[in-house]
Amino acid sequence: MKVLIAGAGKTLYFLSRNFAAKGYEVVIINRDGEECVQLARQLSATVVCGEGSNPEILKDAGAMGADAMLAITPNDQDNLVICQLASLLYGVPKTLALANDPDNAEVFEQLGVSAFSTTRIVGSLIEQRASLEHITNLLPVGEGRVNVTEIIIDADSPVAGKHLKDIDLPENALVAVVIRDNRPIVPRGPSQLLTGDRVVLISLPENHGPVLRVFTGEQK
Amino acid sequence: MKNSLYIVIVGCGRLGSILANRLSREGHSVVVIDRDESTFAGLSPDFSGFRVEGDAAQMAVLHEAKSKKADVFIATTHDDNINLMVAQIARKILNVPHVLARVFDPRREQVYTQLGIETVCPTSVAAEIFLRAVATGAADKKEG
Amino acid sequence: MREKEYLRQRYAAILSSTGIILVLSGVVMLLPLLILLAYPQEGQDAWAFVIPAICLGLLGLALWRIFHPPTPVTLSIQEGGVIVLISWITVTLFSARPFMSVTNLDFSRAVFESVSGWTTTGLSVVDVTKASHMILMWRSLMQLAGGAGLAIIMMSAIMGRTGVGISSAEGRSDQLVPQVRESARLVLIIYTSYAAAGTLAYWLAGMELFDAVNHSFAAVSTGGFSTSPESIGHWNSVAIEAVSLPLMLLGNLSFVTAWLLWRGRIRFVVRNGEIRLITVVIPLAAALLFLFTCRALYPQIGKSLRVSIFETITALTTTGFSTVSYESWNSFGMLVLIVLMLIGGGTCSTAGGIKQFRIYTLWRLLIWEFRRSLLPRNAVIEVHVWERNRRVFVNDARVRQIYVFVFLYLATYIFGTLILCAHGYTLRDSLFEFASAIGTVGLSVGVTSADMPDTALWAETLAMFLGRLEFMVVIVSLFKAIKDGGHWVSLTLHGKEGL
Repeated sequence: MKVLIAGAGKTLYFLSRNFAAKGYEVVIINRDGEECVQLARQLSATVVCGEGSNPEILKDAGAMGADAMLAITPNDQDNLVICQLASLLYGVPKTLALANDPDNAEVFEQLGVSAFSTTRIVGSLIEQRASLEHITNLLPVGEGRVNVTEIIIDADSPVAGKHLKDIDLPENALVAVVIRDNRPIVPRGPSQLLTGDRVVLISLPENHGPVLRVFTGEQK
Repeated sequence: MKNSLYIVIVGCGRLGSILANRLSREGHSVVVIDRDESTFAGLSPDFSGFRVEGDAAQMAVLHEAKSKKADVFIATTHDDNINLMVAQIARKILNVPHVLARVFDPRREQVYTQLGIETVCPTSVAAEIFLRAVATGAADKKEG
Repeated sequence: MREKEYLRQRYAAILSSTGIILVLSGVVMLLPLLILLAYPQEGQDAWAFVIPAICLGLLGLALWRIFHPPTPVTLSIQEGGVIVLISWITVTLFSARPFMSVTNLDFSRAVFESVSGWTTTGLSVVDVTKASHMILMWRSLMQLAGGAGLAIIMMSAIMGRTGVGISSAEGRSDQLVPQVRESARLVLIIYTSYAAAGTLAYWLAGMELFDAVNHSFAAVSTGGFSTSPESIGHWNSVAIEAVSLPLMLLGNLSFVTAWLLWRGRIRFVVRNGEIRLITVVIPLAAALLFLFTCRALYPQIGKSLRVSIFETITALTTTGFSTVSYESWNSFGMLVLIVLMLIGGGTCSTAGGIKQFRIYTLWRLLIWEFRRSLLPRNAVIEVHVWERNRRVFVNDARVRQIYVFVFLYLATYIFGTLILCAHGYTLRDSLFEFASAIGTVGLSVGVTSADMPDTALWAETLAMFLGRLEFMVVIVSLFKAIKDGGHWVSLTLHGKEGL
């Protein structure tokens, strides 16, 4: 798979390294001459020096044959234009833009460009991690409309030892996976939850609190 | 005042300030947005519109300028990409009836006309005018 | 030589715009004639208004046409200031004429009354028991028009381009909407609806129609002229006082705040510094007055409460209606009122004083100065206040302007008080009366009267003028005019000697 990434800084470097390790063909677009030199030395990807939102540069970088375009510059407007040009001028099938301003993530979607916002993701990670140690909120999937949370069942949890069918879960919540001794189990009604299990829960933001309380027994 | 429009202008540089001054003088309600407050000094003393200091790429700033109520939205920053982004937001999301964007790069301009954004490309316009001037000059030379 | 031509051009534009204002003021001066519809017996006084009105109008017309610039000229704020200065002086002088012919006041007293009207002060040297209806109406009309401001009047008529500089110079720098003429129109609409509602309310509360109209005009313009020598106290009516309070408060509200309130933007109204200030100051001051002054003076609880509240609000909003006389008030009460008069009303409204916004900003700075000592040493702090619907960060320039203004205000206040003292008035009376003059309030302990010495009278006249135009406009415009004038003269002299 050929991926074009336009951006700068550490995020660009590590992402590119990541993709290259997976075996993708990576082409980096960066506008700073010196940074390009460093990138060229450290990565096995092709480095093109120029503005991602310049159609000539995109063509030069091989947008015509690219499978994906990722725009992660610090400027939302540049990311939007890069993705739109890649898709409209060169027909790149998958484009993804970073929206630094979380409000813009929705705006981009409405304009037809897939977008994500690190602010939102990191923000909720921090919030959840800061509250209780044995709860980690993994991902707000579907733009924050669904929460995926991992909880460790400890000894005084109200559900320790209970069967799944006997646990009174609120509406719109699901125990997706139970990880026991590093083995994932997809639980059914008769399955029992034991102390030390890591339970992956799916819930909605509205009932997140009550759902957690079922498993932890305390006020969140 | 009859026919008074609510106009939002993004960017208070040379073009933006000229537009703002003229339109305000003609009696329209003008709101100017610029990231840099010092550019507002380019507005004439009788500019009677509002000034909003902020990055137009952020929705909150567009809302502060009440862009949703605008009759006309003009993007005149020096950055083509910002102009294209805010023009699209104004057109597709805020449903402003008349949206204009200045785009310097002729190649980007083509793509955006496809998307339904009315653009003005100073480069192309100037090129036309210069070329016509050269052509008339050459014609005069032939005759003379 | 081109510089001379340039000056000529600029001042031509200035005089031309001034002309328009004078014409409109002339029209305003004819309005009292409407009284003849109800009181035709006062017909012989009509000429006292018609003649100066026509002269003013003609003068304005002449200035406008003669100096009309061939191409439209954009006037700067400083030039707007000169227009404001010239217009105000001319209009107040012409407005004094009816007092000289009808009520037989001498020049000083007539100008005093005229200035007191236009600046919406309310101190009076006229004997209202003997004054004709036309004169009383003229006084209230001056306050209504002066409260709106010459800029608003001008912009609602014809002129467009030069509006911004002039309204800023007159102290109305913030607009309601992003177009100056539309904004002026809205202000006028708000203002006239206050006046109309006020008239109706007063009439329903028991006043006769003539009194209702006059008091409504005086209330919404926070002017304070009354048709009775005892002001609102004459009616001794809870209903009438109750009607006055909201009118005074509305008049003191910045038009921008009033507009926000009307549009339902309660969030911004609540954040507004001036609103916050008055929600603290009014109850506090009323309580202090009640406990330390009124309770003893007015043994009946109901009366004490009424007086405390009414006097607090009339002083703070710089209206000047009074319900009692201050002769028997103790020093505590007097000082509370003086402080309220100095604080004054809201910016961009009809009120006077140092203005609540400045006091509020200074207060915020004070609090932050204390907080700063508790924060990390290298912390960066940006103090902000809410203006209209956005936050404005208080920068050094603003603070400097506020401090200079407050200094000027207090210095003039002390100086004026000295002048009054020099004429033999007691310290208590001088402090009170001058605070009332400079703040364009209108409450009086009796110092201001028809037999006041001339110099004291002129001191008060100047104070009212400076107070209304917020000092800087007068001083800066005066300097500019003098500088330009001097420049013109020197250019002419040198011109005579050849290049």
